[in-house]
Formats: sequence, C-alpha cells, structure tokens
Amino acid sequence: MKALFTIIIFFLPATLWAQTQLKGTVLDVKGKTIPGVSIYLKGTYEGTSSEVDGTFDFTTDAIGQKTLVFQSMGFKTVEIPVELEEELLIFNPVLKETISEMNAVTISAGAMETSDEKRAVVLRPVDIVTVPSAMGDIIGAFQTLPGTANVGNDGRLFVRGGDASETAIFIDGLKVGNAFGTTATNVPTRTRFNPNLFKGSFFSTGGYSAEYGQALSSALALNTVDFPVRNQGDISLMSVGGGYTQTLAGEKNSLTASANYFDLSPYQSLIRQNFDWERAPYGWDAEISARQKWGKNGMVKAYLHTESNGMKIWQAMPGSEDRGQLVGVQNHYTFGQLSFKQTAKNDWSYYGGISYSNNVDEFTLDQVDIHNRNQVLHTKLAGIKGFSDRFSVKMGLESYLFDYAETLVTVQESRSFRDHHAVWFSEADFYVSNKLILRGGLRAGHSSLAGQSWLDPRISLAYKFDHEGQLSLAAGQFSQMPVEQLRILSTALQNTRADHLILNYFLTKNGRTIRAEAFYKDYKELITYEVAQLLPMPIGISNLQQNGQGYARGFDVFYRDQKSFKNTDFWVTYSLIDSRRKFAQFTEMVQPAFAPKHNGSVVVKHFIAPVKSQLGISFSLNDGYTYDNPNLPGQMNAKTKSFQDLSLGWSYLAKPNLIIHLACSNVLGRDNIFGYQFSDQPNELGQFEGMPIRLQAPRFLFLGIFLTLSKDKTANNLNNL
Amino acid sequence: MKKYCIAIIVMMLISMISEASNEAYEKAMHKELQQMKAAKSPEELQKVANGFARISEMMPEEWLPDYYAALALANAGFRIQEDKKEKDRYFHAAKQHAEKAAAISGNNSEIEALKGYIVMGELSVDPNSRGQSLSPLALQTFGKAIELNRQNPRAIILMAQMELGMAQFFGQGPEKACGLVGSSLELFKKEEAGQAENTLLPTWGKDIALKMKENCQL
Repeated sequence: MKALFTIIIFFLPATLWAQTQLKGTVLDVKGKTIPGVSIYLKGTYEGTSSEVDGTFDFTTDAIGQKTLVFQSMGFKTVEIPVELEEELLIFNPVLKETISEMNAVTISAGAMETSDEKRAVVLRPVDIVTVPSAMGDIIGAFQTLPGTANVGNDGRLFVRGGDASETAIFIDGLKVGNAFGTTATNVPTRTRFNPNLFKGSFFSTGGYSAEYGQALSSALALNTVDFPVRNQGDISLMSVGGGYTQTLAGEKNSLTASANYFDLSPYQSLIRQNFDWERAPYGWDAEISARQKWGKNGMVKAYLHTESNGMKIWQAMPGSEDRGQLVGVQNHYTFGQLSFKQTAKNDWSYYGGISYSNNVDEFTLDQVDIHNRNQVLHTKLAGIKGFSDRFSVKMGLESYLFDYAETLVTVQESRSFRDHHAVWFSEADFYVSNKLILRGGLRAGHSSLAGQSWLDPRISLAYKFDHEGQLSLAAGQFSQMPVEQLRILSTALQNTRADHLILNYFLTKNGRTIRAEAFYKDYKELITYEVAQLLPMPIGISNLQQNGQGYARGFDVFYRDQKSFKNTDFWVTYSLIDSRRKFAQFTEMVQPAFAPKHNGSVVVKHFIAPVKSQLGISFSLNDGYTYDNPNLPGQMNAKTKSFQDLSLGWSYLAKPNLIIHLACSNVLGRDNIFGYQFSDQPNELGQFEGMPIRLQAPRFLFLGIFLTLSKDKTANNLNNL
Repeated sequence: MKKYCIAIIVMMLISMISEASNEAYEKAMHKELQQMKAAKSPEELQKVANGFARISEMMPEEWLPDYYAALALANAGFRIQEDKKEKDRYFHAAKQHAEKAAAISGNNSEIEALKGYIVMGELSVDPNSRGQSLSPLALQTFGKAIELNRQNPRAIILMAQMELGMAQFFGQGPEKACGLVGSSLELFKKEEAGQAENTLLPTWGKDIALKMKENCQL
C-alpha cells in the first residue's frame, strides 16, 4: 500500500500546487511582432497562440523542468528550457524565417517558367495551348514571349539574335535530338510533341544553369505530366487530320497511348496556296508514355514517340518561268527516354535517365537522293544534397554520343562522324536569407572528335524587395559544337562560344506580372565559310574557318494582366534586339535575317460566359527582316517591310467533354515577306532578279473538334446514390 | 499474494493514467472544438489550428487532431480576402495536416473529403488557371470519399458544390447538384440522430447544405 501512496503523491502535485504565468511578445529578426505563433509546453496540453500584436499570456499548472516551444508557419521553431515554479516568467523570443519555396526569392534572370504549381511563373500550361497564333504548337506560344523573334518561314525558336540551332530542347531533363520536324527551305516546321503531354516548362533566354549545355542562346526544358487523374479517351478531329489518345490511370502507375494522322492535301485543295506542291505534307505519329511510382517519393517515367512524314514541293527559281526544282522530303523519327527521380536519406535526392533519338531524312533534289541520319544518345545522373535549408549542392555526370552520317545514294558515297562528350556539372545554391540567393555553377566537358576540353562557369544572384518584386543578375559562358552539317565537312571544328550578361526585374502580384530584362551576349569563334549555291539548299561549302564573331544586346519587357478586365487575360511584349555578327558566308559584321530589331506581340483572351466561349486574339509584329541584295553594294544591305500578323481563335465548350476550336492566322491577309531570293546570274539589264519569300498561303485556317470520353468513376458513383 | 497485489495496482495505475490522458485529450479536443465554432477570423482559426496541432503532438496516434487542424486552416484560407499568397500558405499548411491525418488513418472517408475541400480552396485562389488541373482532382477526391463511405454527408455536399459550379459554368441545370443536396441533408439528419451529443467525430457541413438548398428552391 505504501508504494501506491507514494505514486499517488508523486502524481498529485501538478493539480494541487499553484500556477505559473508565462507571458511575452514574439518577434521576428527585424523586430516586427508575429501573430498566430503556437506557444506550448512540450509534453502537456498547456499552451496558447500569440495575439495580433504578437503578445501571449497563459498560466499553467505544470511545474518543474519543461520545454517552452514557439512554432509558426514560415519560421524556425524555437525551444526554451524553463523551470516552472509558481511565478511570472517573461519571454521575448526572436524567430528566424525558414527558407522555403513558398516565400523565398527565385532566380528569374533569363528564365520564363510555366507551371501549375510554382509562383514565379509567366504562363500556365493551359495558356500555351490557347494562344491563337500558336495553332497548338508549343513553340508558337513561346514566340509571343519576350526575347524571341518570329521567323514565320522557319517556325523554330529564335532567341535574342541567335539562330534556331542555338536553342537546346530537353524533356524531363534529357536532350531531345531533332525536336523539330524536317522540312524544305522556307516551309515552316513545328515541334513534334503534343502540348498536352507537358505539365510545365522552363524556357530560358540566357544565363541558364550549369545543368544545361551545348546551347549558345537558350534552353527549353519541358516536364511531362506526372499522373493523370482518370481513365479517358480523347478523340480529335481536325481540318488537317485526326487522332486518338487513351489514358489509363492507376493508383501507382499510368499509361497513355496515342496515334495521330495528318494530311494537308484536302485542306490545300480547298484553299489556294502560294506554293507549288507536288505532294502536300502528310504523316503519322504514335506515342506511348508510362509512369510508375517508385517507393514513397520516387517516380520512373518512360516515353516513346515515333513518326514518319513527307512532302514534295516545286521550288521556283528567280528569273525563270518554269516550275523550278523538285524537292522531296521524307522523314522518319524515333525518340525514346527513361527517366527517374528518387529522394534518399540525409537530404539527398537523385534523378537522371537515358534518352535516344534517331532522325532519318531522305531528300530528293532533282533526281539526286541524299540521306542523312542523326542519332543522339544522352545519359545523365545527378544528385542534390541539401546541407541545410540555406545551402544545397547539385552535381551530375553526363554522356552524349552524337552519330551523324550523310549518303549520296545515287553514287553510293557516304561520310560520317561520331563524337562522344563526357560532361561534369556542379551547382551550389546559397540562400543568404529569404531575400537573397547566390548561385554558382561549373560545367566541364570534353569532345572526343574535336579533341577539345572546356570549362564554362556560370553565376547568378537574386534579391527580393519588400514589395515582392525581385532583381536578378546572371552571367555565364556557353559552349556549343557547330551543327552536324558543318562538322561533317571539317571534324576538327571546335566549340563556338557565347558569353551572357543579364539583368532582370520580375514582379507578380495578384494577377499581374511585370518582367523587364536587359541583356548582352558576346559571340566568339563562329564558323564562316564560302558557299557555291545557297538556295534551295546550301551546296558547295568550303574554306571553313572559325573566325566569326558578333554580339546581341537589347532589352525586353513583358506585362501580363488577368485582373483589370473581367474574364480577360492579356499580355503585351516588346523586345529590342540589336545584333550583328560575322558568320556563315558573310565576311563582315551584319544584322542576321533571323534577328529583327523591334519585335512586339499582344495576346488577349476573353471568356464570354453566356456562350461558353473563349475568344483569343494575338497580334505580332516586327520591323522587317534583313536580306542580301546583290544589286546593291555591301552585305545584308536591305530590309523587308514590317511583318504583321493578326490571328483569331475561338474555343467553344459545347459540353464539359466537347470543345470546338476554330483559329485563323493573318486574318487581315497582310502580304508578309521574309526575304528575297535572287537569281545566280544577272539578266540582260545587268540586274539580279529577285523573288519574295512568302508563306505557303496568306492565311491558315484551323478547325478542330476535341471529344473526351470517360467512364468517370465519380460520375457513376453519384448516379448510384 | 504480494505479486498479485502489485499486478492489480499496476493495472489500476495504467488504466488511471490512460483514462486521465484520455480525459485530458477529450477535454482539450472539446475546448478547441468549442473555439472553432466561435472562431470567425483567419487569426482565430489559426489559433484553433495551433491548439489542435498541440493535441496532435501529445496524441500522435489519433487522426482527429490533425484532421481538425487541417479543417481550421482550410477555413482560414477560405476566409482570407484578396491576398492570394496568404491563402495559398494556409491551404498548404492545411494539406500537410491532412496528409498527417491520412498517414495515421488510411482510407478514411472524412479525411478524403477534407482533402478534396482543401483542393477546392486551392482552386478558388486562381480558378482560371488552376481549374483545368484541379477540378478533376477535387471531383476524384470527393468520389473516393464517397466510395469509402456512402453515408458521409460532407463528402456528398462538397461534391454537390463542385457539381453546381460545373453545371453553372457549362450552363446546365442544377438538378443533379440539388439532388445531392437532398440526400446529404437526409444523411446529416441520420448522423445527428445516431451520434452522441459530445462526439469528437466530424459533424460540420450542414450549414453548407442548408444554404445550397435555399438556392435550389429559388
């Protein structure tokens, strides 16, 4: 019995003896009071929260050694040992902010992010699909963003005075070889990938992370959808073709398979074309993507895309009345990749994967058959170690295998090269506070073919002001091997080089985004050559040298507003690009044809609720493209008139699962000219005759019907109630 | 005999202590539930959430403290006007508590319904751009909640809210949503009849149903 008493007495004091009062004020590092802090004695139910003025005051029956805890969202928890002995205790703790994605500064120099999740974003994925001038092409939407130039007769992405080959495209961190479809000269191309495949993207117009290389101007990283939420089938019927996609969604895995076919012949037989088609573009593609959860936080993704397409076109020659040269293009393309990410113990996380692309082009030029084959194999393994919430280091190893071959089929002559790159990169992020981040990176590589090693340093920092706006600065060195078509002529070619310096201001607040950026880019070791014939394909390239150079400088501004007008979202972009370079066949510094000086665009989307429709308008313009006029002295001595395009789109949500989309480019029918092609020989008057380069038709009309079929489980459940 | 005596004493003690801790738990829970009913402002709801979080520290095997902490934070998120970032902060914190509750009690219809409720909150911050990705997720989560327990009136009334929003968007009639409101009200009645007055289990949501019913009768 004695034992029992002792124990009871041991437990009693807490309820019998008098109380202790704890009070004080909770402050942050700057001395501002923090409301809503949870304050409690560890191991008891006793506690309170700080008031709006940061004060707290509570009494407790507990006595003895306890721990007083101060806990609040966004702050580091503070624990103070206390001795409770029926008196008044006063605490004025100072809580430090934690560095978290929710409130920390992000580096926005050069970067434009689209995402459903993050904050420092410019566009959401859904915005991309609904830009009228984009016609469903991802790149079409990026062409309305700052820093890009609209080169209508090419269709690829031209960034800040850089040519299209200076942009590298990655899917889930892995390199995509030949991301654009092969096409004939002056026939615009598109990206091969369906925009609905991606949940977000990271588009950088310069100064980007050491994780990306072999791109002088720009990196575009696309991230595929993680997990679709339900089983569904999607049917698309378009004026140019159709397709079907089936999605199977499970708890831990999912599968999406799709097949599409397109043929422009019926469309082109209805609407008059500027081009002389022998066979209108046609093609098919099929793709499968699968995702599997790996453990609690990990994921494995696999993706396979294969397609085949072709076209035949008569390309007229200036100064000649006949149909010109018959150019046939057949393209076969396969891209596959396997990627993973996983988190491990001790704040380590890993990601990486392997990708392979195989592109086969079969050109026919006036009875001459040329076959090109380009293969890229990329493997990557990277790890991130978080040492604290302030400091983390990323490190990775990569291997690239480039294999390129050209065959002149008629005479059975062929040539090829193979190059292997071994790359190491590392990047450290250091948050001085939630307001200031420093990032330093290094990228080292070696090319077996060029026998060259290189080391590219990159550095950036960003500071967030009290008004939420942030200023970022980025600088770095970038290296890229010349394009395959030149490397095969001289395998000793070394890296071309660019140095970037970027200053960026970014503010996004309650539905409005402002972004302004100034940049300077310095090009070195560009390739120059002599060429016998330029069009329709460059032939007879000789005397390759690496003595080209140049620069691109300017600024761009972007304003987006989803707030000022009801149901309306619009953005306005202006980019000034002042670029000159000595490259290709030019022997002096010229403004390249793909770098118009003044570029602007406006995109407006307005939702009209009563008719369940979204109306889209996009307007793009620039001050014209430079071209070489042999009738005038000098090089790149002329400029076309201004390019202008007004596109309209109308999307109608007929039913929750049925969308009808109608879009028309260049509604006003402006006669846009992208340059001139001149005859090789002067006519009787001693003049070289010129022929304007136009689009295939003044307007492009697109009609699509998109139907989603889903045995929605939720719907069935509801009906059973 | 002595051994027997000690065993009894130990057992008594254990039951006393656990009863005492259970009593303290229930007392603490009731206190916070009372305050939650009275709480109007986001600040007051934050305090309530802090209270539940403290209880959860003490009783890590109970799912209800985290459940209510998440609910209080979600309600705070809904009540904040204008400041989108602040709203997101609350929904983010709510989500963390809901995940914790789900880790304690798997396949729980109430927790699933609450998760869906938080998704609705995130959706409400920026419906234009989040609608496409989050509305199927909300529907799916409510669907799962209903599948786990067809008698859960909260899962049904929240689903009805989503359905009504979608019907309005697509210009369809409110019949389906209003039908759901009716069945949820019946379930609320059944729940009231079947539960002890001082239950700790979730009972909220009837006011949403009554408000929606008014709209349905217009």
